[in-house]
Amino acid sequence: MSESYSELFLLSRQGEGLKNAERMNYRRVGNAQPGASQTAIFYQNDDSGNNGQNPRPEHRFVQCSRRVNAGTIGVATMQNTLRKSYMIADRTATVSRLEEVVTTSDEFDQVVTQALPVLLDRAAGYTKRFLRETGQWSDDIEHEKFALRWGSEYLERFLVCGRTEVPCRPLFLFDSLVAKQHSKPEPFCYHPDLLKPLGRFLDGLVARAVVSRDALIALYCHSYGWGAGDVISVTGLNGLESQRIYKNFRRWRESGWQRTMDEMGLTKPELAELENQRQRHRQRFNSEAERLIRVAQGHYRKSEPDHYPCLSRSQWGEMFAQGYGCDYRIWHLALCLDCMQTAWGLGSNGSSAGEKPRLELQVRP
Amino acid sequence: MGQEEDLELYRSQLLESMSERPSRSVRGLVDPIQVYVNERRVGELKGVETEATLHVHGVDHVETVQLRTEDGQLLGGLVAPEHGFRTNRVRLSGDAVELCVHNTVQGGALSAVFVPAPSFWSRTRNICADLAERWASRRPEATMAYGMRTVAFTQALLAVAVVGLVVDRTMIWMNPEHMVASTVQTGTLSTASITEIEQLAKQLGELRLMQAKVGEALQSQEKGMTLLHQTMARLSSTQESVATSVVMVKEEMEKRQEGPERDADRPTQVTVGTGVVDQEQFEVAIHGLAADNDRLSKQIAGLEEHNRIVTAKLQTAMAHVAKAIEQSPERLVAREADMARKHQLVPVVDNRSSTQSQPFLFWVTFSEGTTQESIDQWLNGMKGHKGAQNEGWQEVQILPPPVPPDLFLEQIRGEKIIKEARLNH
Repeated sequence: MSESYSELFLLSRQGEGLKNAERMNYRRVGNAQPGASQTAIFYQNDDSGNNGQNPRPEHRFVQCSRRVNAGTIGVATMQNTLRKSYMIADRTATVSRLEEVVTTSDEFDQVVTQALPVLLDRAAGYTKRFLRETGQWSDDIEHEKFALRWGSEYLERFLVCGRTEVPCRPLFLFDSLVAKQHSKPEPFCYHPDLLKPLGRFLDGLVARAVVSRDALIALYCHSYGWGAGDVISVTGLNGLESQRIYKNFRRWRESGWQRTMDEMGLTKPELAELENQRQRHRQRFNSEAERLIRVAQGHYRKSEPDHYPCLSRSQWGEMFAQGYGCDYRIWHLALCLDCMQTAWGLGSNGSSAGEKPRLELQVRP
Repeated sequence: MGQEEDLELYRSQLLESMSERPSRSVRGLVDPIQVYVNERRVGELKGVETEATLHVHGVDHVETVQLRTEDGQLLGGLVAPEHGFRTNRVRLSGDAVELCVHNTVQGGALSAVFVPAPSFWSRTRNICADLAERWASRRPEATMAYGMRTVAFTQALLAVAVVGLVVDRTMIWMNPEHMVASTVQTGTLSTASITEIEQLAKQLGELRLMQAKVGEALQSQEKGMTLLHQTMARLSSTQESVATSVVMVKEEMEKRQEGPERDADRPTQVTVGTGVVDQEQFEVAIHGLAADNDRLSKQIAGLEEHNRIVTAKLQTAMAHVAKAIEQSPERLVAREADMARKHQLVPVVDNRSSTQSQPFLFWVTFSEGTTQESIDQWLNGMKGHKGAQNEGWQEVQILPPPVPPDLFLEQIRGEKIIKEARLNH
């Protein structure tokens, strides 16, 4: 250490215990937030906390502080500042590591897994910038959550697909992936009303239905309040497919619904409020839900195969009668309110020949 | 402050779910794997204990491929290059999915093959094969005759058995005192002769041959199964494309029929049979039109022939008239005046104009490169009219010229656009 201090004290990141720096094998890595009367210096333990075998991040950095004038230690007042400074330094180190070339998939996994927070914030930042530049941004928690949600989507894809791109520099690959997503027309479903709890709920359901068959089948339940038997009847499925529908329902109830709510950032009070609105103002609630679900369906239906367009009743009738296009029926009817009304009553047993279905949103499966 | 905490909680939740992701997959053993190309669902792999294949061809390049479970969990995938191949093997516990993307200028193609985890018997067979291979690498001369792993393994087993027997027998012979404590079986062995051992070896040899045959049969069955799988894969691919085509064709037919349907208010259902009937009707109509066309052509030819004859007669008559006029113009004038007097219609002073009202006909051919416009101008200048055409000759009618016909024709021949001129064709 080049500087001379009257006293040097070290404490761990959590402020646990004070130890003399000179007794330990620490090296200086930088200053942070120097003030008029206080100085903070960062030291890194070369042993990485545990002889380098199993690095414990909380022990990798220590802080050293002194009060220049009085010669007493002012640790507590500097703790927040130092924590932030520590995070900045940690982040810088992580980013540097991400900029280096990784040569194997395992190395990629290792580097990226350690940098998830950095990458998530980076992707959210890009999304925020995209929204700002397209005039869709507003400084509120809904927009922040939206940016975080899409950041995590990009990160998920990066974690899986990036492994096949080695050797690569993970950070640059990640940036290019996000840029590629943002260069597509309408990269995500944005509507100011879809950022409110009801909109987020619907957006989450429909977005999940695109990638999860469980969620797709559950969409019938949430939209119309149908059970597995009703879905089988309405879509005119055969025995083999029927078993699968029951399984889809079970899995959705067990874990799928909760996971989707978590991913959309819907809290328990928000869900309770939605349930409350549904019970107290059913008609208004459903008509608002119908308006919003149409927006979401219009966007996410683009993920269907190209050859799944809306059909006339006679065309649906032919498909039902001849028994082909099981996937077509399941996918399209779940994601299209209009076609559901068009094809109403064509399913097996004629059980659905009553009044045409209206949206009756269910919050819980 | 509450909002910040809420946001921080949400962020932590997302990070947590991302780091837990691999352990959260709830894919059942029999659940199909959803395949997405460019974030569009294109199909699923339904393999359980057998291989399953999915082929996708498209005009768009394949940019990304994703494999997901039924609950939406992203299992694996790849990012494809703009041109060329990219392959990836996605491991799913024991199973695996082999992805192969090929992008060309014409479009992209994806081949996804579900490879199930090997069964117990399959693993056992593989282990045996490995052992046999190792044995073969040590004793190549013993296995060269058969060339199969199974046979090599069998041989190894037999060799070990025979060696064991021989060693056992030798030990018994060398240590007869152990006979006292031996069982009935060892007693039998002690009395067995070398001939019996040879018989046993022969039996083992037969067994070895049988095993070799079984090995061959197994291999041929494996080949057959592989072929069957490939055929099934092709069949499923074809079936999918046919189903897709059916939908597209129906859609196309619907569109085509929309217009006529509105006009005639016909039923929506249009069968292929009506198309055939329409085609037949068209063919009949075309035949009728062709026949009518032939008939009209013949009539036109006849009329042209008739016209030519009539024109020739007219020319002859006019030539006679011209000669007659040349021979006795006075007599003609007198006769006409007489006729006029008889009819008291035309005054004598008009006899000349009466004679001149008879048109003068002659034939011309035009110089090469003469435009129709020049011809028309020339005709207008002469106040003439076009007559018939025959073999490049054009008939021209004008008022009788003030000069004799021969002189007139000489004058005509002097025209720039006229190649030749004469009275008769």
